[in-house]
Amino acid sequence: MYRIIPMSDTVRIPPEQMTEGLEGTIARLVQSSFEGRLNKSFGITVLTTNVQPAGEGQVIHGDGAIYQKVSFDAMVFKPDNQEIVDGIVAEVVEFGAFIHIGPLDALVHMSQVMNDFMTADVGNERLVGKESGRTLEVGENVRARIVTASLNELSPRESKIGLTMRQPGLGKFEWIDEDRRKAKEGGAPAAGDEPHGDKPVTKRQAKKAEKAAGAA
Amino acid sequence: MEYTRFEKARIVGARALQLSMGAPPLIETPADVRNPVRVSMLEYEAGAIPLTVKRTASHQVKAS
Repeated sequence: MYRIIPMSDTVRIPPEQMTEGLEGTIARLVQSSFEGRLNKSFGITVLTTNVQPAGEGQVIHGDGAIYQKVSFDAMVFKPDNQEIVDGIVAEVVEFGAFIHIGPLDALVHMSQVMNDFMTADVGNERLVGKESGRTLEVGENVRARIVTASLNELSPRESKIGLTMRQPGLGKFEWIDEDRRKAKEGGAPAAGDEPHGDKPVTKRQAKKAEKAAGAA
Repeated sequence: MEYTRFEKARIVGARALQLSMGAPPLIETPADVRNPVRVSMLEYEAGAIPLTVKRTASHQVKAS
């Protein structure tokens, strides 16, 4: 979840930056030291605004810099367990797909994409469902639930966030719409459990699409 | 505020260190003055240094 939280800290203003106004300088320093930084309790800081000096700056013996206390508002993103997020498929690998969820990437494992046997087609950057014929490709929009979040403070990119889309109302946006429409029409079960009559058609379509992709 | 010679030394010294580390001068200085301590002294005499001294209460009692 994104939050805006008030924070305070001390910034070191180096002498060569004692040029223009104080507020602009400290805003820049706070930006460079906080934005993109990940903290286990707050999450990753996306941006900082409203940077204000708090009291006077201090001159320390032996250092020509000024130490200025500042207060500011930080917008942070923390992936919480059970949180529903929208994202974009960033990459398809043998074991699933990586999803951009704002400033961080999360993994949805093959077994958690839908109620179907998934195969990864890494060459064409997509996951294909064996029974339903549904595919998940790079660049598509999905809705998912966060099931595990282990954040790495030293290297935010190494953080491991696990997702699931194997629930009604989750998955690719098109699937959600499709399931909703089907549920309205005939009260059919949602999320990948299509009526059996549809299978051959979708399977054939999937094969056709694969052939077309192979020829191209 | 009237500064003691110790305070003056601290202010001029701190400012000279800032100048030596690349802070821009706050007054126009003659072209031949390049030494940060000299520039700092000129700034002090012109009253241009934006530094203040925080005196402790005990110091104020003794000074008065």
